[in-house]
Amino acid sequence: MATLTAIENSGFGIWVRESGSVWSYPTIIFLHSLGLAFLVGMNVVLALRLLGLAPRIPISALERLYPIMWAGFWINAASGVALAIADASTMFISTLFYLKLGLIAAAVVNMVCIRRYVFAHPRIDRVAVPASARLMATLSLVLWAGAITAGRLTAYIGPAVALKGR
Amino acid sequence: MAAVEALSRWLHATRLSWAMAGGYPWLWPACETLHFIGMALLVGIVGLIDLRMLGFLRSLPLKPLDRLLPWGILGFVINTVTGLLFFTGDPFQYIHNLVFWLKMAFILLAGLNVGAFYLTGLHRRVTSVGAEEDVPLSAKLVAAASLFLWIGVMYWGRMLPFLGEAF
Repeated sequence: MATLTAIENSGFGIWVRESGSVWSYPTIIFLHSLGLAFLVGMNVVLALRLLGLAPRIPISALERLYPIMWAGFWINAASGVALAIADASTMFISTLFYLKLGLIAAAVVNMVCIRRYVFAHPRIDRVAVPASARLMATLSLVLWAGAITAGRLTAYIGPAVALKGR
Repeated sequence: MAAVEALSRWLHATRLSWAMAGGYPWLWPACETLHFIGMALLVGIVGLIDLRMLGFLRSLPLKPLDRLLPWGILGFVINTVTGLLFFTGDPFQYIHNLVFWLKMAFILLAGLNVGAFYLTGLHRRVTSVGAEEDVPLSAKLVAAASLFLWIGVMYWGRMLPFLGEAF
């Protein structure tokens, strides 16, 4: 706990939380939303296609979504680390926060599995979408919705709440 | 502005406003969660079409992407409904807030941009663009404006508590 408090009250932690600069907390949390929109948004596109909702989109072309999804992921990993430092003593003892991290980890593993098993199929656009791919697509929607829900709710705990209103 | 004030006073007196503003404490966080899910749907689908028109993911033909639009519209509807609920819950924190009006202006401009895209027939010309083909420059400008405006909407939305002291 002493370590967490030290992290939270480090120069960087205080700057993020208390500097009042538009470049600290406000910009970091904006980037966290931006990364979310592209990471989850493109995952949704991929899942909807695998579930058969826009069947004329060539699945093989959607492999190019991965660089966008990874860009969103890394924007959120970096901004998320900064936000977690600013609220370290709350976040790192919060079940909700670990639930969020767990859901994101599962969603990212699932996303990598889709690339490895679905896109690796040489005739992916000539055969029906396999049941396993539809299962992974469903899992993707459920896990990302869960990650957003848990993430949104962490905004209601910790010292930075005062900054955020509610 | 007097009409906006009057509407806000009326809204604020409703039972729905009471429910949103803490009468049911779970309601505001639930709407926030839905607002972010709607955002991911809208920005994911509109953003993909914009990026394709700008020349990314050129192996995607444009026509089949239209089938995703209902899901983007669903995201917009979710966010309009939850947004109206936030406004009903606490109208006065928004109506005197420049950032709120900037967000509304950006949504309006994004709407006009989409309207122009369809009404000028540009959408019909773009639909026939297949894999590895480019859209006309005018469509690229519409796509760039769309991306800029929707990212701007997210920016102003996120800045509500910081630059304008609304949450």
